[in-house]
Amino acid sequence: MAAIFPSPEWLKSLEEKLNLDAHYNEIARNWEGDLVFEILPEGNLKEPLRMYLDLWHGKCRGAEYASEPSVHAKPAFIMRSPYNNFTAILQGKLDPMTVMMTSKLKVEGSLGYMMRNVPVVLDFVRCAREITTDIA
Amino acid sequence: MQPILKIDLTTGNAEEYKIPQEWERAFLGGASLAARLLYPSLTKELDPFSPESPLMFINGPLTGTSGPTVGRFAVCGKGPATGLWAESHCGGFWGPELRFAGYDGLWITGKAEAPIYLWIEDGRFEVRPAAQLWGKDTYETQDLIKNEVGKKGIHVACVGPAAENGILFAGIYCDHGRTAGRTGLGAVMASKNLKAIAVRGTNKPPLVHADLYAGPRSESNRTLKVDNEARILHELGTASVANYSEYLGSMPAKYYHQGGFEPVDKISGATMTDTILSGQSACHACVIACGRVVKLEDGNKRKGPEYETIVSFGPNLLIDDLAEITRLGELCDRYGMDTISTGNTIGLAFYLFELGRVTTQDTGGLELKWGDAVAVRQLVRMTARREGIGEWIAQGSRRLGKHFGAEEEAVQVNGLEVAYHDPRGVSGMALSYATSPRGACHNQSDYFFVDFGHVHPELGIEYFPRHAQAEKAANVAKHQNWRTVYNAMVMCIFANVAPQMQVDLINAACGYDWTIDEMMKCGERGWNMKRAVNNRMGLTAANDKLPKTLLEPLATGGTEGFTPDIQGMLYAYYNARGWDLETGHPMKEKLLALGLEGVATDLWG
Repeated sequence: MAAIFPSPEWLKSLEEKLNLDAHYNEIARNWEGDLVFEILPEGNLKEPLRMYLDLWHGKCRGAEYASEPSVHAKPAFIMRSPYNNFTAILQGKLDPMTVMMTSKLKVEGSLGYMMRNVPVVLDFVRCAREITTDIA
Repeated sequence: MQPILKIDLTTGNAEEYKIPQEWERAFLGGASLAARLLYPSLTKELDPFSPESPLMFINGPLTGTSGPTVGRFAVCGKGPATGLWAESHCGGFWGPELRFAGYDGLWITGKAEAPIYLWIEDGRFEVRPAAQLWGKDTYETQDLIKNEVGKKGIHVACVGPAAENGILFAGIYCDHGRTAGRTGLGAVMASKNLKAIAVRGTNKPPLVHADLYAGPRSESNRTLKVDNEARILHELGTASVANYSEYLGSMPAKYYHQGGFEPVDKISGATMTDTILSGQSACHACVIACGRVVKLEDGNKRKGPEYETIVSFGPNLLIDDLAEITRLGELCDRYGMDTISTGNTIGLAFYLFELGRVTTQDTGGLELKWGDAVAVRQLVRMTARREGIGEWIAQGSRRLGKHFGAEEEAVQVNGLEVAYHDPRGVSGMALSYATSPRGACHNQSDYFFVDFGHVHPELGIEYFPRHAQAEKAANVAKHQNWRTVYNAMVMCIFANVAPQMQVDLINAACGYDWTIDEMMKCGERGWNMKRAVNNRMGLTAANDKLPKTLLEPLATGGTEGFTPDIQGMLYAYYNARGWDLETGHPMKEKLLALGLEGVATDLWG
């Protein structure tokens, strides 16, 4: 349950991790909302990349790598940032709150919901970090 | 900057004071410049309520220019509760209006024979009788003066009954809910029989290079409008951080004695938005608009509470009703009392009641039970009128505690009540509170944002874990220096403006050629100037401390049992600052390096 970011295997690993991690299952028990990561080209990433995750009550009901914008057009949240910011977060070089507070990461969706659930977001990042073995 | 209007209320004489250019360049404006200007007159012996006690309203070089969140002014003097440097900042429209009227400050001394208000319009001023306004609340006062003057576009800064009654945390209020709330300068204003200052102006604010200013102004506002924090503040208000603060244990509950507040979501900014919010309000030309407009059951639109008021009358007193908190905040605004100090001091009364140190004999039969908003309302009224135990609450937590033999239980520093960011949750606030020039202040350095993760690498302000100790001391000092620039500009601390953009704005407005380093040095100079003002008024290293409650671990909640090692932090901080560990004074070499030769001679000979 570990993989190189970004890859379909990585997303699959994350899906499995979110479903099996007891701490995440508990802290995100009230979370309702799907999520798209829009990774903008930078460094080793030459084309934009979308990853879709359907997060519901502490579980991940589904995930889709290289999702087409037309398929999950209106998720609850879109998080958009250049590639290097995502990799820095996953490597623990960049704090997720720092990325948010310094606007390195743009968020579309209910800010109220997000602010009520910061601990859920932070634990999601913990899970993502734990399954990341390397960066492409 | 434009001249400051010096007014002696005893004689009625006034003159325009031209700010020396070298001081303007050294201190920029706002609170830093006020510290330099007031330095000679703020002595240990000065009674803050004496006619000689100065009260200064002052703008920054960007005030009224529609730059990013610069529609603000500062009020400075000697604090009646602390006996130290007093400084309070206020939004709204009054500061810009004073600037449009041709002044960048008012320097008020003396005492009028009877209540008066000042009417200032485009370079002229008039003293008008205000006996008919005495006793009126701050909302009524503003409306009555606007009606009396009868011109459009007037803005009024005034005091309420709390200031008239000498409450030591009475503030100055304008634009129906914008407050210079902290440090009791409203009481100083009322001691001069000065009820209000109404201003109206039609001039353009001066800019040395208006053409160079336009670009950075537009760009900084555009950037600010899409900034994540600004969007959150706009949508959810300052209480947007309530849930996360509670999670970290940085939001105090039960007068700083309970780790966490389970019903936090009932009082959060997100819930306010979902329930009673009916709109936003903004200060002059602000693109954030963090102000809340709410509608309660009576259908009237009114100011909604911000984070500090919510915690003060909410978790601090175990009240979880947003409508009640809104009404308590409005009651304080109308009386003209700072909501942080009011809620904090009432919290101490509740805590001492729980300990049995305060009884129903002291309260006139009132039971002080946590969560009882009716009792809180009663205490607010008694405080504003100085009735019963309100006489002691009116003097702030230090004196209330002392009266009941429990001064050590008061959560205050140097006589100013601690704001609602617990250093056991975010350790940087330990130094912010202990070393702030005006007592336990969260606005001289809102370091909790850095502890949350908001870093500024271009200024060397890096991330340290929220429970780091002495290793973050130098970082706190840098942050204080930067916020001192904000308080000199006078710019709202909610504005995420990149440091280089800040420099560009300053340079265009003032005709300077500063770098970021020079801007930060200006901030450091201002911080040390305020320190020197306080040193002359008797402040020593012994004043830099935290109340005992904040050094005791909480068994539950997000603080995880952490307590700050304040002595270790202070040692590292003094070293980073270049301050003398024995006296608490800035070292002579540091003062000289900052160009403060006169101050160095005064403090060190």
